[in-house]
Amino acid sequence: MTTLKITKGEEKGKLQLEEQEPEMAAWGTDAALAVVGQRHPRLEAIEKVTGRAQYSSDVRLPRQLYATVLRSPHPHATVAAIDIAAAEVLPGVHAVICAENTEPIPWYHGSFVFDRTVRLIGDEVAAVAAESEEIAADALRLIEVTYEPLTHVVSMDAAQAPGAPKVRDEGNVAGEPKVYSRGDPDEGLRQAEVMIDRTYTTQSALHNSLEPHGCTAAWDGQTLTLWDSTQSIFTVREQVAQALGLPEHRVRVIKQHMGGGFGAKQISWKQDVIAALLAQRSGRPVQLMLDREAENLVVGNRPVSRQRVRLGATRDGTLTAIDADITQGIGAYMTGGEASNVSGMYQTLYRCDNVRTVQTPLYTNLNPGVAFRAPGHVEAAWALEQAMDELARELGIDPIELRLRNYSETEQLEEKPYTLPEGLRLSYERVREAFGWDTRERPAGEGRVRRGVGFAAHDWVGGSGSPPGYAWIELNADGTADVVTGTQDIGTGTRTGLAQVAAEELGLPLEDVSLHLGDTSTGPYSPVSSGSATQATLGPAIRAAAIEVRSQLLQIASTAMEIPVPRLSVRQGKVLVDGDERRSTPVKEIMRQVAPHTLHGQGARGANPTEKVARTFGAQIVELEVDTETGEVTVLRVVTAHDCGRIVNPTMVDSQVIGGITQGIGFALTEERVVDDRLGLVLNANMEEYKVPTIADVPPIEHAAVDVPDPEANPTGAKGIGEPPLVPTAPAIANAVFDAVGIRVLDAPISRHRLLDLLTTQREHAS
Amino acid sequence: MAATAATHVPLTLTVNGRDHRLMIEPRRTLLDALRHDLDLTGTKKVCDMGDCGACTVMVDGRAMYACLLLAVDCDGRDVRTIEGLAQGDALDPVQEAFVEHDAFQCGYCTPGQIMSLRALLDADPEPTDAEIMRAVTGNICRCGAYRNIAQAGRRAVEIQRARGEGAAS
Amino acid sequence: MRPFAYSRPETIEEAIALLDSDARLLAGGTDLLTLMKGDIVAPAHLVDLKRLPDLDDVIDLEEGTVSIGALSTLAQLETDPLIAMHLPALAQAAAVAATPQLRNMATIGGNVLQRPRCWYFRNDDVHCWLKGGEECFAREGDNRYHAVFGESRCVAVHPSDLASVLVAYGATVHYRDSGGVQQIGIEDFFSPPTEGRRTEHVLPAEAVITRVTVPMTADGARSRYVKAMDRKVWAFALAGAAAVVVVDEGVVRDARIVLSGVATVPWRARAAEQALIGATAGPEAFAQAAEIAAADAVPLAHNGYKVPLVTAMVRRALAEAGV
Repeated sequence: MTTLKITKGEEKGKLQLEEQEPEMAAWGTDAALAVVGQRHPRLEAIEKVTGRAQYSSDVRLPRQLYATVLRSPHPHATVAAIDIAAAEVLPGVHAVICAENTEPIPWYHGSFVFDRTVRLIGDEVAAVAAESEEIAADALRLIEVTYEPLTHVVSMDAAQAPGAPKVRDEGNVAGEPKVYSRGDPDEGLRQAEVMIDRTYTTQSALHNSLEPHGCTAAWDGQTLTLWDSTQSIFTVREQVAQALGLPEHRVRVIKQHMGGGFGAKQISWKQDVIAALLAQRSGRPVQLMLDREAENLVVGNRPVSRQRVRLGATRDGTLTAIDADITQGIGAYMTGGEASNVSGMYQTLYRCDNVRTVQTPLYTNLNPGVAFRAPGHVEAAWALEQAMDELARELGIDPIELRLRNYSETEQLEEKPYTLPEGLRLSYERVREAFGWDTRERPAGEGRVRRGVGFAAHDWVGGSGSPPGYAWIELNADGTADVVTGTQDIGTGTRTGLAQVAAEELGLPLEDVSLHLGDTSTGPYSPVSSGSATQATLGPAIRAAAIEVRSQLLQIASTAMEIPVPRLSVRQGKVLVDGDERRSTPVKEIMRQVAPHTLHGQGARGANPTEKVARTFGAQIVELEVDTETGEVTVLRVVTAHDCGRIVNPTMVDSQVIGGITQGIGFALTEERVVDDRLGLVLNANMEEYKVPTIADVPPIEHAAVDVPDPEANPTGAKGIGEPPLVPTAPAIANAVFDAVGIRVLDAPISRHRLLDLLTTQREHAS
Repeated sequence: MAATAATHVPLTLTVNGRDHRLMIEPRRTLLDALRHDLDLTGTKKVCDMGDCGACTVMVDGRAMYACLLLAVDCDGRDVRTIEGLAQGDALDPVQEAFVEHDAFQCGYCTPGQIMSLRALLDADPEPTDAEIMRAVTGNICRCGAYRNIAQAGRRAVEIQRARGEGAAS
Repeated sequence: MRPFAYSRPETIEEAIALLDSDARLLAGGTDLLTLMKGDIVAPAHLVDLKRLPDLDDVIDLEEGTVSIGALSTLAQLETDPLIAMHLPALAQAAAVAATPQLRNMATIGGNVLQRPRCWYFRNDDVHCWLKGGEECFAREGDNRYHAVFGESRCVAVHPSDLASVLVAYGATVHYRDSGGVQQIGIEDFFSPPTEGRRTEHVLPAEAVITRVTVPMTADGARSRYVKAMDRKVWAFALAGAAAVVVVDEGVVRDARIVLSGVATVPWRARAAEQALIGATAGPEAFAQAAEIAAADAVPLAHNGYKVPLVTAMVRRALAEAGV
């Protein structure tokens, strides 16, 4: 049973609500678990390999229409007039909407779904619903729009230049720069015996989830149902309800299977409201999936960054100061889904008393920046972990040793100890050993092809989970269980990992548990699937609900079996009697005796510890070859270790690890949004010129699992792993490139043309 | 067939052994015909430009991108999609291997990956590791399951071989 | 794609008769359909050649040449034993082009007619010179993938791997038009776009390629195609080199070196060929020829890296061919 603790919040008009569950013994290191910790295929595996898994794009409703959006060809312009007359009368067209015939609906901050000012190539101008995508596209070509072009800026330099065109009325700095300082960073730099002072840049990466953003919208009377490709069905429900003036219970959002999100699908995007309006106008269901170009133009990207990093240290390697001046180009809008905290890792990864970070987001006439798998940390790691490598070389200290000398067992923002203070050290040890770091051969620095190794570390602010989050469980009369949540499985294995927690606590085999998610009308509130937090947020809530059900079950069993409750336990579908194996009775036989009654439990995510901080950590080593003649980089091997607490399902965790590293290889070597400054045009909003890794680009990846439960973090001891593996990959590759050829690549990615230019410069210097 | 100005043309699409008589526009791709006219939504539309491989199907036994084929052009050709692999509950060896090796995460590229490997194993039941990798070089997996896909490909060969031996004995 | 009519003619004469300025030929479709989807071209009429009895995908020996039917796919070129034996560089080029699926679809006839991948040309909002406009936007824009050789108004590069190999082997393109059976040497077939003809080849609009023939190489000839890409597979060449060398008693008697990915058409490195002929085959001569091949490159603002890449590709093609 959940009890509520209600206190007045610091913010006026807000109460602080804490859901408290009865004392739940955390699963510690020595917990004997039967289901948790086991490898198990994804519960939805059969659906996915047979093509039966239904994604938003696969919804087929009677009389369904298909919609497409007319987008601005100008990076900045006012829309003077729109003529939709010809489009409206095209046979097969059922609705056309634009600013001329639609009430202005506020969107982003200070803008509208159909704005009279367009601020990037791709901004929405009109939309058509028709009997086929082809007819809808024909109709778009019949819409006449009169634009009055305005000057635009797309680079950070241009946005900061004196007299730069303004992307937004308030200017090109988005809000206030975020400033953090502790100690005396200037003094720390003065005291330094060695200083690294470098400016690094990172590119904009495009998520390119294979399933684009999109939805199918259908009205049934006053109720709107959206099959949306989203990481947060409840956020979409709230935002769509607000935009359309509907109460939340009249909006149902469904997401059963997700073709990738990686952070770009945390909020409702315009297609939700556009599809709903078109469905309303036409009186028919409407499907609106973005095409690949739109996917890459308007619904988020990893924002570009420029980071000037100064590290000060004494000769023994003790950091005296960390100073980072960070600029980000966040595109034309603040969406609410950015969460790109580049500063964070500078503040917490290493013990240092004098730290300053300044983070300044700039508006540009481009796609709004949003979270992209480990937002901010990937950018920060590129700079900080290269700077640490440089420092190690400058000092002649082994890069892992340098990090150990600046090890922090406390979270330095709040000065509280970590729940698992040895987590990062264990990661260093595991990766060091698994790679053979201390016995590695120093490759010869001669020859056309040179080999190098690189190390990088990371922390991750997410992964610990937090309230709120809820679960319901029903133990059915046949002894099987339905576990109901309102979360979503975005491809990470949430469905499976959470079902394992439920099965463990219920004492049922996994096949007797169904985990339901992805529907706002049938499940309780659950937060966005982000921050690698879902397992750690909902696992404890599911445990609480299961404990309640199990307690009821044992009471019934006690009466049925005439044995006192303390002697009973339940495991693998059987009620066991302490000291008497022969009397164990299947759960279904107990439940049959009370049928058709069923048992119910509900659980809420309790509060996180207040005296300690939970974090995830990791370290990675990359070995690669550089062909000095062609600039080709071949990654040969990646070894990685992460403290993600208890591993609930090693198969799912391994998959997250190899997936994150694969994306890291892309970020390091080939992925880069390219923009023509003059035209304000993204030149590679496609999957041909925006190059994500293929199977041939990815080497063997070894996961040297740490797998130490973190029972103080939460009662399951598990922390998230979705994002962390990607964080250290690119700087580890950059450090390995330096190791191989002595070139420090400051600007990501290390593309062929960039490295060849640097190699040529190096050769010219040498001769 | 003579030149026609008609907006819709008749054709017969043979998909997974079944004939479907359709009237469609010449501009409709095989991918859209599968997804919209036949409601076979297992084949996925991702880039629609031949840059990702998610729409891979088999046409006359060979792996091809359905987004770059016109449906009319497939009139009378033998098209095989992900829906045609499993026999009832019995998975194809490639499907079974994908489940075993967790060779997918979000699952959106999976039908295409599986069809590429199915085409390979139909042509050569005993491919080398390099040939297995090569068969899926035209299939992007954004979740990055490649290492597991490669393993699943090898495992599929074993499963298929074992089933063949089982059938022979 | 915009609406179009579709026809599947029974004879090549019928196909040619259907061709006018609004019609396009459809074979593999791997390039044409992307152009149509991108609204770069919008033909009113597609003439499907794939089942034309007069065309085939037969690869055969014929009067001292290897004859390749226009409908032969890249997959066939990759695996055909005759190609492997007589034209290994063509098999190599096919093997590193695109993906298995695309190679199963794309034909040699279509391959030599494909349009550039230039990101300005391929964007329907950019009315560039190659599409009939006034300006080449790549010249002053982001031209990292563009040409370092040639003097065309357009700086897009020819996307074909096969094309440079066919030039190196001295192939001939055979086609039919209303005048009957025609043929043209492949080096004349490719031609930088001009004010009046904004294509990369000179094939008349109302013609159908029927086959490509490649003369059998001389005894002692060795050939190789190599290319550099942004990732390990599935990318157009940043730069590539096809080399055919004839070595007799350790001396280079003949050499053809043709570059891909660096000009609007396959680019023949004539000075490098001349330097090589008569030289002793070996690393020294190959390195020197490779330097010469890149010597007269004129890079744009963002593609200077292609100059050392050309050198590297030529050296490798020669080294791997000439042993």
